[in-house]
Amino acid sequence: MTDPAVAVHGLTKVFPIPFHRQSIVAVKDLNLRIEPGEVYGLLGPNGSGKSTTLKIILGLVSPTRGRTEIFGRDSRLVESREAVGFLPENPYFYKYLTGKETLRFFGRLCGLRGSALKNRINELLDLVGLSKAHNRRLGTYSKGMLQRIGLAQALIHDPRLVVLDEPTAGVDPSGSRDIRDLILDLKRRGITVLLSSHLLAQAQEICDRVGILADGVLVREGHLQELIAIENQTELIIANASDNLIREVESIVKRSNAELIERRKSTTTLERLFLEATKKNDDARMSSGEGATKQK
Amino acid sequence: MTNAENTSTLQPFNASTPTKRYRPFSFSRIYAITINTVTELTRLKVFYVLLVFALVLIGSSIFMAQFSFQQEFQILKDVSLGAMSLFTSLLAIVATARLLPQDIEDRTLYTILAKPVPRFEYVLGKIAGVLVLLAVSTVLMGAAFLLVLYMREQAVIHTTLRQMSGAPPDQLADALRVVRSSAFNINILPGIVIIYLKACLLAALTLFVSTFATSNIFTIVVMAFIYFIGHLQATAREYWLHEHSSGLITRIFLAVVTLLFPDLQAFNLVDDIVAGTAISLAVFAKTAVLGVFYTTIYTLLAAFVFYGKEL
Repeated sequence: MTDPAVAVHGLTKVFPIPFHRQSIVAVKDLNLRIEPGEVYGLLGPNGSGKSTTLKIILGLVSPTRGRTEIFGRDSRLVESREAVGFLPENPYFYKYLTGKETLRFFGRLCGLRGSALKNRINELLDLVGLSKAHNRRLGTYSKGMLQRIGLAQALIHDPRLVVLDEPTAGVDPSGSRDIRDLILDLKRRGITVLLSSHLLAQAQEICDRVGILADGVLVREGHLQELIAIENQTELIIANASDNLIREVESIVKRSNAELIERRKSTTTLERLFLEATKKNDDARMSSGEGATKQK
Repeated sequence: MTNAENTSTLQPFNASTPTKRYRPFSFSRIYAITINTVTELTRLKVFYVLLVFALVLIGSSIFMAQFSFQQEFQILKDVSLGAMSLFTSLLAIVATARLLPQDIEDRTLYTILAKPVPRFEYVLGKIAGVLVLLAVSTVLMGAAFLLVLYMREQAVIHTTLRQMSGAPPDQLADALRVVRSSAFNINILPGIVIIYLKACLLAALTLFVSTFATSNIFTIVVMAFIYFIGHLQATAREYWLHEHSSGLITRIFLAVVTLLFPDLQAFNLVDDIVAGTAISLAVFAKTAVLGVFYTTIYTLLAAFVFYGKEL
């Protein structure tokens, strides 16, 4: 039996409040098992213990009780981090470094050097679409670009597990879609992804399994499709249906003792509408020779 | 972000990059953090301190044209070495105080420590970066000071030669010897090394304070306090020992005070250099060992506190 990518056993984290008798229980008796190759979403409102759980898994915070493992290695051991890439929430990195220098720095920390490091940097800059901005300092990057360089640094040492804390927080829909596509790409490559988010629509699009945390307690967990499916309901989406056909379908439903709950025109999503509208606008600007580079 | 970049997000990459086995201690990781710290500090333009030092030098040499050459050289050495000591100390405290809190605030620390990097290597890399920066600054300031001293010496020699053109050769040689000996003496070099070691000590102590400080301002205020106490503590200690009995408890108490507030006055050799008193090898070695000892102890303490820090 292979080791799980992440195993959390009876994890509890209590933060004492200085000069007070009370303390804050951030995570309470949490158990998780994330299999290799999965995209697992740790969901929950702000302050529910998502970031604390991720930090304990990464060895940045020590647990009060319980233990966490990464591919079978205790995550308090530094060597367990060989297999992990991490992108924190709203990362800033070093503003004085260029995109390429940032990746070189993180690559050297992982023991890469020479042509192997150089090739890896170029591959990752291509992957996250920042080849053209590689010589710009991060201080001039937009938030979406920072998230993407952050994802590139998380992947620099070819990790088997990528941990993403709110990967799309504060990013515009287009940047957010790029990140979602990158996560799906990682999944295709067999990389395990553990992400925390409170953006549920996005988590629904990419996660295989989710766990919902509330006040530090895991209140729901399972395969996404199983969790959100309504067992006794079915959706039919029909294109070019005439009024007669619709009436016929409705009468069949009545005759068979089933119940028609709702009949409505299909709509596009607001995200798709936004992306189409902004893409047309960008295309027009690009063809008129106007740049679209964002300066901070 | 450009459209062209948006469309190239899903380029495949070669996942066959060779992976390295983890080593519990790696100079190359420490080197990466050191170089990054030096880059950070230089791009933050902390070297502007050197510009202020150059201005102090130029200003003082203009002001001193009205004195006799002995007085001029004495004041030049006094002002320059004093300014060097002050500016390197200032640089050590201000540059180091922001390193850890800034990395925590920007969450850069999370990304670094989420890689296979032990915490003590991070601390070593940071302090090594500051020490390199301080070394470069001290060398540049020292070079500027020696250059100005040399130029003033040459100007005085030129004037002396002109004024004593008709004097007997041995009288002229004596006069030139007096000028040369009052300008440069060999004690200046160990004096500069001690100034550097004092700055190293302050940088390591600042790093230690910043491991438990809540803000940059707190660290700088605590360090300013320690700086002044450190300069006064030797006098206070002598007074205390003079007034009270020197029992075991008193000695332990004083040892703790000495560890918390290093005797910075011991690093003040400027007065001796200005007065032309020779700095014996024993005094130099003792002061240098003290500087290295304090720097090592504070770095280890910083690594120890940082090891258990919740991020």
